[in-house]
Amino acid sequence: MITLNVNGARRDVQAPDDTPLLYVLRNHLQLIGPQFGCGLAQCGACAVLVDGKEARSCVTSVASVVNSEITTLEGLPARWAKQKGLSAEQARATLHPVQQAWIEEQTPQCGFCQNGMMIKATELLESNPNPSVAQIKDAFTNSGPSPNLCRCGTYVAIIEAVQHAATLMAKGR
Amino acid sequence: MASMSENPRTAIGPTLSRRQFVKAGGALVVGFKVIGPSILKASAKPALFMNSLDPALGSSWVEIHPDNTVLIRTGKSDFGQGSTFTAYRQIVAEELSVPFEAITTVISGDTDRTPDGSGAFDFLGGGTPNIRKAAAYTYQALLDLASEKLGVAKDKLSVKDGVVSGAGKSISYGDLVKNQQLTLTIPVKGELTSIMGLTIEGNPPMKPVSAYTIIGKSFKNSVISSKVGAKETWATDVRLPGMLHARVVHPKTLGSTLVSAGQIDKTKFPNSQVVVKGNLVGVVAPTEWEAIQAAEQVAGATKWTDWKGLPGNEKLHKYLRDEADWTSATVTQGEGNKGDVAPLLASAHKKHSATYQLSYMKHAPIGPTMAVGDVKPDGTIHIYTHNQNPQALRGEIAIMLKTTPDHVIVHSFPGPGHYGRSNGGNAGAEDEAVLLSQAVGKPVRVQWMRADDLQWSTQSSAAYSDIQVALNEKGKIAAYQVDHYMPAMQDDRPIGAVLAGLPTMAAPNPHGDSVTNTANGIEDPWVYAPILNVAEHGHGTYQVGEKASPIAVGLRDHSMRTPGQFQQNYPRELAISEAAALAGADSIQFRIDHASEERATSVLKAVRDASGWDTRPSPRSNPASTGATLLRGRGVSLMLRNGSYWACVCQIAVTPSSGKIVVEKYTIAVDPGIVVNPIALKRNVEGGAIMGISHALFEEVIFNESGITQDDWISYPIPTMSDIPEIKVVLLNNPKVGAYGGGSEAANALAAPAIAAALHDATGKILRRLPLKPAYVQAALKA
Repeated sequence: MITLNVNGARRDVQAPDDTPLLYVLRNHLQLIGPQFGCGLAQCGACAVLVDGKEARSCVTSVASVVNSEITTLEGLPARWAKQKGLSAEQARATLHPVQQAWIEEQTPQCGFCQNGMMIKATELLESNPNPSVAQIKDAFTNSGPSPNLCRCGTYVAIIEAVQHAATLMAKGR
Repeated sequence: MASMSENPRTAIGPTLSRRQFVKAGGALVVGFKVIGPSILKASAKPALFMNSLDPALGSSWVEIHPDNTVLIRTGKSDFGQGSTFTAYRQIVAEELSVPFEAITTVISGDTDRTPDGSGAFDFLGGGTPNIRKAAAYTYQALLDLASEKLGVAKDKLSVKDGVVSGAGKSISYGDLVKNQQLTLTIPVKGELTSIMGLTIEGNPPMKPVSAYTIIGKSFKNSVISSKVGAKETWATDVRLPGMLHARVVHPKTLGSTLVSAGQIDKTKFPNSQVVVKGNLVGVVAPTEWEAIQAAEQVAGATKWTDWKGLPGNEKLHKYLRDEADWTSATVTQGEGNKGDVAPLLASAHKKHSATYQLSYMKHAPIGPTMAVGDVKPDGTIHIYTHNQNPQALRGEIAIMLKTTPDHVIVHSFPGPGHYGRSNGGNAGAEDEAVLLSQAVGKPVRVQWMRADDLQWSTQSSAAYSDIQVALNEKGKIAAYQVDHYMPAMQDDRPIGAVLAGLPTMAAPNPHGDSVTNTANGIEDPWVYAPILNVAEHGHGTYQVGEKASPIAVGLRDHSMRTPGQFQQNYPRELAISEAAALAGADSIQFRIDHASEERATSVLKAVRDASGWDTRPSPRSNPASTGATLLRGRGVSLMLRNGSYWACVCQIAVTPSSGKIVVEKYTIAVDPGIVVNPIALKRNVEGGAIMGISHALFEEVIFNESGITQDDWISYPIPTMSDIPEIKVVLLNNPKVGAYGGGSEAANALAAPAIAAALHDATGKILRRLPLKPAYVQAALKA
């Protein structure tokens, strides 16, 4: 039995220690935000936040994160609500500003990589609330285990959405 | 259900029937009747509808509900274009004169719940997609109903927000259909499981473009909200009771046969099993991680024959020119061919002659293909997947299992875009999931790994073109001749069926039907009408290595975003830029001077203005091809695709010593006719633009004599966010065209000829080969 702290809740799972976190999240915990893209930490589709830092769940063993706080796409609204001290009722009705910006900017095309893009955006905006275009490009290219890749070519829309999310977060929405 | 057809009457050719006094609810459902040839060749008609829409049941394209909501259905699946959730809603809302928000439900892609089949391409159907006609027929039927109910002549009625009014009376659509079961029958033709599916026939009156209030606005795509909010069920999320996970151990080479399948190490993987069917080897386990590990262990213990039957990518173009059989396929002719090129080429004032080469490229979805197969004890087959043409997949699975399509149901879910790979019915894992499910008697989920997806999927065809251009004394093109050479690129044989030795449709051949024929049609519409002598020829051949492969595989090809036209437009547009340089003319003005269609010259002028283009000949003054200093240049390209005119300008910087090209600014203009949804179109164009830069600079399938050697994103690179230029999109809304043109293709093809022309502009050296990788650029600059 392994006990994980996922999206603010304790979750018990039965899985071999070396199981990649991705399969535990998707198949045991039905947290389907992270997607299988390459299994090689080369694309970012499977990204989650581990103690606030972007990690690739496809190459992260479940045993290595038992003492960590894991946030998936599903946990972004609650993460924002906690940071802003919103009530439980407010929290249920909200999206993370990053998600809100992704909708308002109509960012995804197929959307398969966007889990990782939103995780990366959240990580970036928590440390740099007002990034420049150059800083956004640098974060999505150089800060993770690999660049966050999008085959549909939504990079322009992602940059615009990150900047819009920064505005929303500054307003405290 | 014959009772539903009482009191039939005619409404503009289609038939409206009703059953009065349904106790609760009621609806107008728009079904269809078949005209012309049978919908489905392979099966008896009654059986087809056991799990598809039955015209006699009034199954619908459009349903009007008593609460004034509307449901629409389309056989097309969304692949990220968003058209089914934006444009289709807008089109239906516009034709019906209801608010966009009234269309609360869109059902798409499931073979048992949608009417028309066909692929995730050409969503706007040359301006009149099926859904527009269905809505137009429905609108007329609603007017007929209202006319009768209100006692007001039809031509005195008008509709606003779903309320019909005339002569001081009014009634809502919801009240018109309340407590009745109405069935409107409309004419349809085609073959449901063919690549093009069914087409609605006839010409119902359409709302005049001048009256549009909904088309042209940036309504949001509803599926984006559910995907971003982690509320969407993706194909990757489908979990059925008792479902097992599987990985496939694909052969060692593209021509290997199985010698012996490895045994499972039961001490490590006690719950796994190996399934062998011909050359198809699968490993099935209760958990995904065990399936992955057991498959790796089995792969290491499985023995295959060796095979060497491919030319290797370094010798590919020599093979295509000297060894491939170009004589068996019919030589095709361009629709714009005219005059007599030969004497003008012989007597040209100046002449340009060159060969242009394109590499194989992968569709390379960001997630590898996957599917869940569930073969039930009664022989019914369910497939849960992300597929561009679910009805065609249905037909292919029926052929594989020697059954009829009515036994096959394909359930569609969102997934990673794969840009044409499954537009003929399969992307790779669907048939394998079915075969493994059949073998173990349980639902099976097959997930390809990244290496499977690069090495065992189809690819976009390599090609080359020989072009000759004659210039007259005035510096104008007197004659243009091209011979395009490309292996067939629509192989829809499911790979699992091929490996298992089960029946499939034919591989592409010179005697095949329009889909399986090796002929290379002219796909790039001619846009330079004032040129009086034009000769375009298309030459086709078999897929490379397929006939030599003992398992009939080799390099299987499949259409990819802007298929065929990319392979023909790149050589044409680069040659036109070279001809402009030879004439000493500016390459945009040279195109304008050789185009008569106002929409073509408009997009050229739009990119000229928006890019800050300086009018002058290429190459620039003092071009250089050596040194470590950045050199700048620019190029242009032009295309007509599916009713949309496109032009793009690429402004690049190149470092001669390294051969590295960076696109600094990318400007693109499109006139699609009517812009249905500006933000959706803009996002599609931006994405296509970036994919086009990827095609131009990065993408080439690397293969040796046995198979593809790339297995990850390092060996098959695509752009990162840092690789993208400043991108400017100009949308030219052109209502007078009266139709909507497509927007998600073409953009990916325009960059390559523009960047290649920009390299010439900067350096004075030309590289007529894609991709423009640093090593190739370096070599060309040294030459």
